[in-house]
Amino acid sequence: MSYKCSRCKRDVQIDEYGGVRCPYCGHRVLLKERSRDVKEVGVN
Amino acid sequence: MTAEYDVEFVEREDRDARFLVRGVTPAFANGIRRAMVADVPTMAIDTVRFVENSSVMFDEQLALRLGLVPLTTPPEGEFVEDDTVTLSIDVEGPATAYSGDLVSSDDLVQPADDNVPIIELKDGQRLEAEADAVLERGKNHAKHQGGVAVGYRHLQRVSVVDDLPEFEEQESQIVRGVIEDDGELVPTSEFDHDLSNRYPGKQVEVEDVPNAFVFRVETDGSFTVEELVTRAVDSIEARATELEDAVQL
Repeated sequence: MSYKCSRCKRDVQIDEYGGVRCPYCGHRVLLKERSRDVKEVGVN
Repeated sequence: MTAEYDVEFVEREDRDARFLVRGVTPAFANGIRRAMVADVPTMAIDTVRFVENSSVMFDEQLALRLGLVPLTTPPEGEFVEDDTVTLSIDVEGPATAYSGDLVSSDDLVQPADDNVPIIELKDGQRLEAEADAVLERGKNHAKHQGGVAVGYRHLQRVSVVDDLPEFEEQESQIVRGVIEDDGELVPTSEFDHDLSNRYPGKQVEVEDVPNAFVFRVETDGSFTVEELVTRAVDSIEARATELEDAVQL
């Protein structure tokens, strides 16, 4: 899963055992990136 | 229902009209109203594919907004139900994405109004999407309703009964719609809906004219009022023919 660090804005991969932390700046707030897939939505 | 009926326009614009129909039963008048609301197919966006949406709104919310943008409906025979037309939108902030930014693949299907706001985009935000519009009926979804404000009232006949007694203060008498006065049709808005303004010092009597209805029709821009009424009546005729054929079998 791809995340972005909210402080240094770098792309971050988090692994299951490493905890939620940016490996570059140590910041603990990571933002989930929107998938690059095309999303289809029905209007109902 | 008698075959003799008469239609007379009181006000007439492309999207908004008021007309009088004489010689129809209340049931038939209501049938026309219901057909205008639910049985005339119009184009509307049904599926949206989001390539990019970095705005503050969810894809689903934007899809609902796009679905409610009125689209012009092609002439009868050009499309059949469930045919699709693709529209696309690509707007980058800082800007507001409007319905006019939708680019259609078919000239016959365009946004009816160019100034319907979809989303306000801030600096760096972008909306890129592709949408499929389909031809469907109002009874399936409200976004397919061509007639947005459709209603009717009885035509009211006003007759002067007598002069008001001396020293009696005239009370206001509110009526709404269209009145018939000596065969002349007068919208009540002309005298502020108050009969005491039109007949000062007179006693008047108001009665419903049997089998005469004043329709007020407003469309969402999918087509003109005339087109909407004609298609609604055609749909009633088609269903009546279908019923007749089914009964004969």
